[in-house]
Amino acid sequence: MTDAKTLAYINMYAILGTLENLCELDSEASALVKTKKPVSVGLAVTDGPSATITFKNGRCRMEQGIENCDVLLPFSSCEKFNGLIDGTVTPIPCKGFSKIGFLLKKFTPLTDKLSAYLRPSEEDLKDDRFFEISTKLMFYVITVALSQIGNNDAIGTFSASLIDDGIIEVSIKDCVSAGIRVKDHHMVTIKEKPETFRSKMEFNDIRLARDLFDGKVNAVACIGEGKIGMFGLVSMIDNVNRILDRVALYLA
Amino acid sequence: MSFPVYNYDKSTELFNRATKVIPSGIYGHLGPAEGQFIPVSKWPMFAEKAKGTYIWDVDGNKFIDYMCAYGPNVLGYCDPDVDAAAAKQTALGNCTTQPGKVMVECAELLVDTVATADWAFFAKNGNDATQGAIMCARAYTHRKKVIMFKGYYHGVSPWCQKIDYPGVLPEDVANNIMLPWNDIPLLEKTIEENKNQIACIIAQPYDHGNFHDNAFPEKGFWQQVRKICTDNDIVLIIDDVRAGFRLDLAGSDHFFGFEADMICFCKALANGYNMSAICGKDFLKSSMSALSYTGSYWLSAVPFAACIANINKMKELDTPKMFKEKGEKLTQGLVAAGKEHGFDLVVSGAPALFYLRIANDDSLVLHQQWVAEMVSRGIFFTSHHNHFINAALSNKDIKHTIEVAEEAFGVVAKNNPHIFG
Repeated sequence: MTDAKTLAYINMYAILGTLENLCELDSEASALVKTKKPVSVGLAVTDGPSATITFKNGRCRMEQGIENCDVLLPFSSCEKFNGLIDGTVTPIPCKGFSKIGFLLKKFTPLTDKLSAYLRPSEEDLKDDRFFEISTKLMFYVITVALSQIGNNDAIGTFSASLIDDGIIEVSIKDCVSAGIRVKDHHMVTIKEKPETFRSKMEFNDIRLARDLFDGKVNAVACIGEGKIGMFGLVSMIDNVNRILDRVALYLA
Repeated sequence: MSFPVYNYDKSTELFNRATKVIPSGIYGHLGPAEGQFIPVSKWPMFAEKAKGTYIWDVDGNKFIDYMCAYGPNVLGYCDPDVDAAAAKQTALGNCTTQPGKVMVECAELLVDTVATADWAFFAKNGNDATQGAIMCARAYTHRKKVIMFKGYYHGVSPWCQKIDYPGVLPEDVANNIMLPWNDIPLLEKTIEENKNQIACIIAQPYDHGNFHDNAFPEKGFWQQVRKICTDNDIVLIIDDVRAGFRLDLAGSDHFFGFEADMICFCKALANGYNMSAICGKDFLKSSMSALSYTGSYWLSAVPFAACIANINKMKELDTPKMFKEKGEKLTQGLVAAGKEHGFDLVVSGAPALFYLRIANDDSLVLHQQWVAEMVSRGIFFTSHHNHFINAALSNKDIKHTIEVAEEAFGVVAKNNPHIFG
């Protein structure tokens, strides 16, 4: 009960979009993509998302569209693009052949590093710093995926159709926050703490958040125990939680 | 006056035990995950005992209970007349191989009481009633589709949940059509587009959903819906599970001046004894008879005895009139108390099932803070559900509630100096 197009949007904005945060949180990742001149990698999916990731000074930023990219990776379908993310498709650039070295030596190792954080071993998670970065990155993936599912997936759009306008803050207490801005049932995730919110869902601590992400604890019981706080227009959160169920389905 | 603020140590301990052996600890509408206890730390989780309009939690805290078990407590917990009738029947027999004669007496009483009733069919929960009514409508019309109105809640069977709920398949809800309230042209257009496919319209008598102000339908709405249903051979079902007997003992359709084809009751039917009922018109009796629809405890005798005593006492007391008066007195007092501290408390819905919202902010955070302060001082409200009046609520209880409200408004105002400074 998932579809390739929604998955492509998740892969583009939630997975590759999280490279931004990886470069901020992990100094090795940042060092890896430090180049003398900025490099921008465009990814264009037929009947799907298009975005450009620009690398500059050890950081990167994703923007919609491919107008200003140095390297362009075209994908003829959402399925092909999803193959890039699961490692079954090797992309061939149609522009920027001189930057192939960047793709092979920088971009690919960077995405490998992201994969290591997003699919960690139990052993890796015993390292506190790794645990923190991994959980923060998971948080960003999930909060961005929420919006992509709410905007694209058939059942997700039904859930979004019931969400009132306003900002839903999702946060791990004293750790990381994001705002999901809803306007006319369209959802946009902004990966920073919003100034105000209309509703808010907060996980008490990072350990709890990790256990929830890994499916080790029951979210409903956590609400009862006060480990997950809900405030404001709770009906917004209720509908977001319906979409959250589908995030697990897509990211499984 | 300052009211003591409760703590819930034993409740919390018991909840932690519960989560180990019961999915989510307390599931469903009584549980803390429904968005009605915000923050959950301000609510007790478990009751020790109940009497009249009061409940006592496992920590010994006493509350005036405005949730009334989410409706079933209509005369007061442990009402002596209802409990005596139930005890008498218990001594005779309850869940037996054949139903007791009280089942017939109960059906006769409902037919005499409920305006639209030519017969009564019994089950246990509200969902049993709405499910049975839908099946009956489909059996009668040989049609598939069901129209509901926005904000509906008709129970927990897959057909009445939504497509994005866990465990619900798209096929389960494929025959549902959701329309806004009060839009007669759209209703007519929808019926025309689904000619001879609509089995029934099922709706609550008014929009008494959670998380938003409750609203009566526009004048004439129900009369037009009634005519459209009649003209198109569509069965009109009123889900009176929540509002039933609190507005009108003859049914909420009677209150709004029309006749449903079937009406579903549960909560206020037997003052906490477990039963529900569908009442319907004669032309649907054969279809109801034809259903394969029953349950192990559906014809147990004790709830019938309780129901008879309950309905007779509600008639004697004229509870709908009493509830309206008490609800108005209470909510007027709450509004005035809020005003003194700068709060705009909006009251909506029927006074017997009043819904509250503080309108000073659009996030409802102030409202949640105020309700939480009320609860921790012994007034059992929920954050965003309608509340219920019961017959045991006294003027003294109402006065006490308003006094607590004054203090709670003061606390919230003090805690939000950026708004009330």
